[in-house]
Amino acid sequence: MGVISTSSREAAPRPAMARVPPVKTAVLGAVILLLVLLVVQPFGWVLFNSFHDDATGAWTLNNYARIVQSAELIEPLVNSLLLAAATAMIAVGIGVPLAWLVSRTDLPLRRTIRVLTLTAFVTPSFIGATGWILLAAPNSGWLNTAWRWLAGEGAGTPLNIYSMAGAIFVCGIYTVPYSFTMVSSALDEMAVELEDAATTLGCGVLRTMVSITIPLAAPAVIASFILSFIQGLTLFGVPAFLLTPTGIPVVTTKLAEFYQLFPPEIYLAAAYCMPLLLVTGALFWMRRRYLGRKQYVTISGKTRAGRQIRLGGWRWAALFLALLVPMVSVFLPYAALLLVSLTRAWGQGLSWENLSLHWYWWAIFGNSETHTAIVNSLVYSTLAATLCVALGTLVAYIVERRLMVGASLLGAVTTVPIVIPGIVLSVGFFAAYTRAPFNLYGTPLLLIAAFAATFLPIAYSHGGSILKGIGPELERAARSLGAGEARTFLSVTLPLMGGGLVSGWFLVFIPIIRELSVAVFLITPKTNVMTTLIYNAKDGGNYEAVCAMSVLLLLITLLLVAVARPLAGLTGARRTSRKTAEAAGVPS
Amino acid sequence: MSGIRITNLRKSFGSYTALRGIDLQVPNGTLLALLGPSGCGKSTTLQLLAGFETPSEGEIWADDVLLSSPRAVLPPERRGISLVFQNYAVWPHKTVAENVAFGLSIRRLPKAEIAERLTRALRAVRLENLRDRYPSELSGGQQQRVALARALVVEPSILLLDEPLSNLDAHLREEMRFEIRQVHDLLGITTVYVTHDQSEALVTADRIAVMKAGAVQQFGTPEDVFERPANAFVARFIGSNNELAGTGEGEGAIRVGDRVLTAPDCSGVARGGSVSLCVRPSKVRLDDDGGLSCNSLPGTVVRSAYLGEHRDVLVDIGDGRTIRAFVPPDRRYGPGAVTTVHLPIDACQILAPSA
Repeated sequence: MGVISTSSREAAPRPAMARVPPVKTAVLGAVILLLVLLVVQPFGWVLFNSFHDDATGAWTLNNYARIVQSAELIEPLVNSLLLAAATAMIAVGIGVPLAWLVSRTDLPLRRTIRVLTLTAFVTPSFIGATGWILLAAPNSGWLNTAWRWLAGEGAGTPLNIYSMAGAIFVCGIYTVPYSFTMVSSALDEMAVELEDAATTLGCGVLRTMVSITIPLAAPAVIASFILSFIQGLTLFGVPAFLLTPTGIPVVTTKLAEFYQLFPPEIYLAAAYCMPLLLVTGALFWMRRRYLGRKQYVTISGKTRAGRQIRLGGWRWAALFLALLVPMVSVFLPYAALLLVSLTRAWGQGLSWENLSLHWYWWAIFGNSETHTAIVNSLVYSTLAATLCVALGTLVAYIVERRLMVGASLLGAVTTVPIVIPGIVLSVGFFAAYTRAPFNLYGTPLLLIAAFAATFLPIAYSHGGSILKGIGPELERAARSLGAGEARTFLSVTLPLMGGGLVSGWFLVFIPIIRELSVAVFLITPKTNVMTTLIYNAKDGGNYEAVCAMSVLLLLITLLLVAVARPLAGLTGARRTSRKTAEAAGVPS
Repeated sequence: MSGIRITNLRKSFGSYTALRGIDLQVPNGTLLALLGPSGCGKSTTLQLLAGFETPSEGEIWADDVLLSSPRAVLPPERRGISLVFQNYAVWPHKTVAENVAFGLSIRRLPKAEIAERLTRALRAVRLENLRDRYPSELSGGQQQRVALARALVVEPSILLLDEPLSNLDAHLREEMRFEIRQVHDLLGITTVYVTHDQSEALVTADRIAVMKAGAVQQFGTPEDVFERPANAFVARFIGSNNELAGTGEGEGAIRVGDRVLTAPDCSGVARGGSVSLCVRPSKVRLDDDGGLSCNSLPGTVVRSAYLGEHRDVLVDIGDGRTIRAFVPPDRRYGPGAVTTVHLPIDACQILAPSA
């Protein structure tokens, strides 16, 4: 009767053998090869180099011994840990209450605050640092000038951004968006019934918050603390701008210094990466341990119905506090950057004659270097984000559906870059690919690969969370109807991932286009990107150009985000309902 | 179409053994129900049949084609076995027509034939007016029919149904039971139907395999499993049942507490082993003497419930044991009433606890 029954009869006498289909073999092979190239190789070189002597090239433990023994190398480690801990405390201390205000109360301007926080997220922190140099440099900073104008010439200069406090402040305010986003989405997704159940049992607003809401959001709070800590530990741009001028070393700036020495101490640098890796690795291990036992936080329910906690008279005080963050992370620094970028020569002061779009014209059309960097940034980020999402999604699919033995190892390798600071990855890529047989130094490929590798964990975990929402039955249904694994992936899984993949792409694209540290050792004049150009131009002291390029970078990114948001929601109004995909039904 | 032969099928997940050696012969064109409580291994058996899992031991054959063995598993897409899932697994991004036509386009059939078979399938499940709807715009029952049409339109040699009715409301469930049997009578496709609902199995199946803890307890016709349960578990699981646990006294006798009761011994358990006396509540009589072929026990009524068709009376027979009896609705018993319970010997069976 059926097409298939005839074909199975043809195959009759011999036992049917399981063949691994060639497409699957090819894809698995390609994924493994790419992971080896992007993660294992560079990281392996860092490890390998750390055990070699810079002068002789012989095997040695000397590099590690030097780190432990020399106070000069211990000090940056202590500074880095201080910076990281303080950053994490600011991020969580401000981000968590802000998230609660926005998702649980009748705070005015909630949507605006969300958008402004996103703007802060899009801003590279070293550009924020540049803005704050204009605002709070000792003597010349505008806020200091304003203070003197208010309090009299003899009032001195209260603010000094070139200090540990300054660096902590800047790192902190640009890390707030991380904790804010993580905690607010945990609060948004929390089943409203869980809190209502407490209320119906006679629990007041405050009691409910303390005994239900906060414990349920705790995993998100802890995860955001750890991510903020790692952010503070691995940032390169902010300490390079704010701490290096006053001679306060941190690990990342010290690493860059090893490369600028003559002769460069590259192998010592490799060993010096290890303490960073150890700390970030330990934090992630702790996070996994903690979150692994608290899976209940993912239990989600209906989207919260309009019932909000009334702040009453506190509304305006809360709004003032909530706006303080966008004020210091977006309005003030961007006002400073915008103003400087619009002057022909900053030193001549503010006047109508001095105002012009000269530096924008110069950046886009006039100067081939900046023109190239803008194009490079867009092209590299687009390609790297695409590679990153494609690879991350495939690995997530392989892991989620257990398509091969050792799939979870594949997932672990893909997650490794999250514990590798950008500057260390940069060191690794330099070691792995600037020599034969690759000789990729000066090619766009080197940067694209490094960018993709850095943000692979984001693409992977994002892909995994989309796949978790797609029941495996949907794929099995296609398999049982005769579709092979590749066909099933293309015609069922991929379309169902649709909108989620678009938002995942932007989730990777944005950090790539604003990434500085991983590019630092890999660029050449031809392959310069906007971030590295801005970084190097600031060293040259051309503030007007730096500011114009910073504003341009932000505008481009925001424009793309604005385009992305409706695009991600566009994929199927009638068919987005995942109800069928998630319908209950645990097999016996 | 093809018959299914399963031999010594075993499956372990790590240290957990889901299947402990299953043997089943399903003749061509038969509807087999795999019946059992959750965790009995029925869904694992279905996943193995569909080709999504590899057996730890044993073989699955479709006629003379070896489908699965520990060494080789024919991939699901090459088995010609369609599967209807518990949650339907209707693709939310495809319309009704696209869902149903998917399997046909995989087979690269001519456009005209696809269109014709699609229309025929949609008409068969009464969905021709909804062909351009998306699944989110359908009711549960309609999604269920999409899933059924999608599975049948490719004319599979074997059809697998995984608890297909468990997400429907009670009324619709009853209706769909007959519909599934009707479709089977019409097409005669060899079908394996997984369910935990005994009435679904009794209505739809030609053969029932009752499973527990990864083993088949009984494999037979619906009449077999209901009237001649192989052990106390099967008797308990299918239909209402009274079970008095005791020890075998040999020669059709069982010792329950300090009493010896008589019944045909089907347990195969040696004298002194633990066995149970099983009797359906509908066969139990109260007060009216059933004659010599009865075990008679004095008791006190604990509770009596009026169920329209009959009255469900629970009687305490001492030692903490109770017996349920379904009596005609006009016989009234109040709690505390003293009565005599009669267990007709030919309605009783002495059974082993389980396989």
